[in-house]
Amino acid sequence: MVDATLVKPDLDFVKGVIAAGGESLKKCYQCATCTVVCNVTPEENPFPRKEMVWAQWGLKEKFQGNPDVWLCHQCNDCTAYCPRGAKPGEVLGAIRKQSIREYSAPDFLVDLVNDKKFMALLFIAPAILLAVVIAAFGNFGIPGGEVVFTKFLPVLPIQLIFTPALIFGIAVGVLGVKKFWVDMKRANGVRTGDLKGSVIETAKEVLAHKKFKSCGINADRYASHLLVFYSFVALGIATLIGALYIDILHIESPFSFGRGTLVKLFGNAGAIALLVGVTMMITNRFKHQEKLGLGSYFDWLLLCIIATVALSGFLAQLTRIAGAAAIAYPIYFIHLVFVLSLFIYLPFSKLAHMFYRGAAMCFMKYSGREAQQAAAVSTTPGTGQSSGPGKETGSE
Amino acid sequence: MSEQETNILVVGGGISGLTTAVEAAEAGYNVVLIEKEPFLGGRVARMNKYFPKLCPPACGLEINYRRIKFSDRITFHTLAEVEKITGQPGDYEVTVKAGARYINDKCTGCNACTEVCPVETPNDFNGGLDKRKAAYIYHQQVFPFQYVIDGSVCKKEACAKCKEACKYDAIDFTMKPESFVVKTGAIVLATGWKPYDASKMDNLGFGTSKNIISNVMMERLASQNGPTGGRIVRPSDGKEAKRVAFVQCAGSRDENHLAFCSAVCCLASLKQATYVREQYPDSKAYMFYIDIRTPGTSYERFLNKVREDENISLIKGKVAKVYEDPATGDVIVEAEDILAGKKIKVSVDLCVLATGMQPTVSEMKLPPEVKINENGFVVADSTRKGIYAVGCAKDPVDVSKSVQGATGAALKAIQTVGRKA
Repeated sequence: MVDATLVKPDLDFVKGVIAAGGESLKKCYQCATCTVVCNVTPEENPFPRKEMVWAQWGLKEKFQGNPDVWLCHQCNDCTAYCPRGAKPGEVLGAIRKQSIREYSAPDFLVDLVNDKKFMALLFIAPAILLAVVIAAFGNFGIPGGEVVFTKFLPVLPIQLIFTPALIFGIAVGVLGVKKFWVDMKRANGVRTGDLKGSVIETAKEVLAHKKFKSCGINADRYASHLLVFYSFVALGIATLIGALYIDILHIESPFSFGRGTLVKLFGNAGAIALLVGVTMMITNRFKHQEKLGLGSYFDWLLLCIIATVALSGFLAQLTRIAGAAAIAYPIYFIHLVFVLSLFIYLPFSKLAHMFYRGAAMCFMKYSGREAQQAAAVSTTPGTGQSSGPGKETGSE
Repeated sequence: MSEQETNILVVGGGISGLTTAVEAAEAGYNVVLIEKEPFLGGRVARMNKYFPKLCPPACGLEINYRRIKFSDRITFHTLAEVEKITGQPGDYEVTVKAGARYINDKCTGCNACTEVCPVETPNDFNGGLDKRKAAYIYHQQVFPFQYVIDGSVCKKEACAKCKEACKYDAIDFTMKPESFVVKTGAIVLATGWKPYDASKMDNLGFGTSKNIISNVMMERLASQNGPTGGRIVRPSDGKEAKRVAFVQCAGSRDENHLAFCSAVCCLASLKQATYVREQYPDSKAYMFYIDIRTPGTSYERFLNKVREDENISLIKGKVAKVYEDPATGDVIVEAEDILAGKKIKVSVDLCVLATGMQPTVSEMKLPPEVKINENGFVVADSTRKGIYAVGCAKDPVDVSKSVQGATGAALKAIQTVGRKA
């Protein structure tokens, strides 16, 4: 036994994972039940068993450029069947947070989003920003007459705040993905591949929500995530058409029926789908509470932001139509605050998964690992003979 | 209600209870032994071989049966269970309910009743692998060697074919369950265990395929006195089982099922792998484990001996999916081969789930001072000085540890009785 490996445990990493919701990490005794019941893992070098031992040992460098933690969709089949209550689903979620911190800059925004203490600050900061802008360009009060939100805050300052916020969110995410991609290539010794084809295949997979269908216990997530996903698409389309009307066709909002029908159609369909989807996500969590747990602060923060965005947006429209100015404007303000938060925290909150999970799924195809998969179902176990108790696999 | 007086009451006639009874009696104390089944021997009587010496269990049981048979200090009751325990150390009153055997001691074991009996029912002694008659005997080496009629399925006087067939006037349908009181100085709980219900693990396929069996069923399958006369074949079609997978920790060390290690399953599977290898030279056995637990020099040596056989593969990684291939009746087991770092699917003829030991002592009506822990075992210190738990009523243990513990329990019970006098 001369092939000794020097193990360099990073205790801060272990503590970080534990603090981020992976409290149960140390309960794992490496039975690999999780890996077997997981329906989304590759067959070669499967997860999450190996991630559990790496995290226990504090092998931080193993996670640099590791696509597997992001391939996990947290269906939590592993957690349901774990014989030790080690909750691999939660632990991988916590490791993903570390991964977000690694790739989404600046770090302090990740810490802000991750820490319960700063919850109020998360929303007060954008609220103050918006209040100042409204005071400067609009009317920070309850404007009289018919409820028209542009009286409260005109379109131009909205665009001046929200467009950069969204660009910032996306840019940080894209830069993070670039860094992540380089790390994945290095860590997995991949030099080149079919990038265009991989991106297209990944997009198809995401649009069809294929992976979610393989979840066992938590199969309802397929429907809820699909609804939320496509509602964002619909709302994005509505917003784009809105921008087209205002900026290019110079049509004032609120749009009337007729010319504004498309915006209203996409907007309302999206809003209703979002409300239903997010409600399903929340009720699913309670439904599976006993077996899978309720989830972490990180999960709930995003759920609450999305739920508030959907609810305040929908209510703002209803109260506007009803002409209840005293309620409509405050609700609209809340809506603006939460949409702004959603944009700014895009690459830092749980929503960062759209960047990194997308990249990891794409890398599976790019590196050819997914193609190997299909061929590799063996009926004879390989290394049985060399195995025996007492042999450490922690540093493989 | 009739009364019997004794020094020590032993509850359970398995290897622990038999040993306690014999040791105490041979030290000069009177013992009443009660057993809920119609025959003594408990779990050991169901085995094919002991580990690690691979000798038949008859060699341990027979000598004890003989010692009981010729002891004038031991009284035993079969089909008997405790109804109530009152009193204190040195002076207990135990109400025992004994079921009706419907066959008296004129029985010579000629098998005529079984031959004519028209009723068939699943044979729980063999884990349901075959059927038995309502008038039956486990096998030819049981003690007491006296047939029994299963009152829950027998039509009794309405049928009575056995009564006509019996030449010895041994069938007696007028027998009734009866209760009696045992006045005793000490009580030893040797209630043992039952196999954990494997169908509770919905991912291991038990009950979905006949070729997925428990380790206890495997012992019966390999036993000369078992359902196949010792031929290890697939229960679905009788085909020789030449590729066999052993799934360790099937329910044990799992907080969703039995949170503790059942202590014997690793050695039992290693032993069962040798049954397969011995019977078919071209066979293969795969044993999937989390850790192989074979503590002690002789068990470690046994592991090393088994491991020398290159047709026995020990694979680190727990099986978490088992299902039947409907086309062939083969069983597919899925695991992660941890040392190879990949998921594997192995197709086998027979899959043996190494199900754990579920203690049965908590099913008994015990006085409140006897505390049961979260795993269902008696808390050793809770039993005061008068009621003692032994064997698998106290801990998950193998036969040799049960025997050692039983000897100790006999001594403790004797001390209780001595203290009173």
